[in-house]
Amino acid sequence: MRKQEVKKASEKDKPDLKGTFVSVMLLGVFIIITWFGAFALFISR
Amino acid sequence: MHLHKYEKIWLIFGTGSLVVFLLIVGYGAFWQGTHPQSHGVTIDTNNIESNEAFKPENLGLTKVEEDKYIVNIAASAFFYDLGKDEDGKSVKTIRIPKGSTVLWQAATKDVVHGFHVAGTNVNMMVEPGYVSSIETVMDKPGTYTIVCNEYCGIGHHMMYATVEVYE
Repeated sequence: MRKQEVKKASEKDKPDLKGTFVSVMLLGVFIIITWFGAFALFISR
Repeated sequence: MHLHKYEKIWLIFGTGSLVVFLLIVGYGAFWQGTHPQSHGVTIDTNNIESNEAFKPENLGLTKVEEDKYIVNIAASAFFYDLGKDEDGKSVKTIRIPKGSTVLWQAATKDVVHGFHVAGTNVNMMVEPGYVSSIETVMDKPGTYTIVCNEYCGIGHHMMYATVEVYE
């Protein structure tokens, strides 16, 4: 009984990072696209 | 140290991308010979003629062998010296056959200038005391303008020349 209570509490403490995760990934994808865009320009010229 | 599951994913993603970028740039630098246009080759700014490449008779376009050319440029405010034609006039346009490998070498007689063959990767700073050089293959026919893209003084905007790449 006691163990269950502890578990519940620690799960509740976990921050919800879904929004952060999505924004970090969007930014990452944007950086990758622009990096390879500039690289493709350099290679093709 | 406890890391959230998402944190682990984006740290791996970020570090992974950094590694990929560095590998690509490193391959270019160490195996393909990519280097900064000014890479420590020095010259006396007040006497660039002392360097063989920048003697007046060696300026402009020189054919080295089939499909291989050297272009030597003496930049000064506000003029690119590309040598003289048969009539003794300053060359304003150089013509290069398509597909040629061209080594561009530039030095300045005074202040910092730019040397950009617009629309190509030939884009360098020309700094006092250094020789800037870059080698490219001119494989797209057309007329390109060489522009100074480092503000060099009152006549900066009049500092240009033309390159024609013909079939």
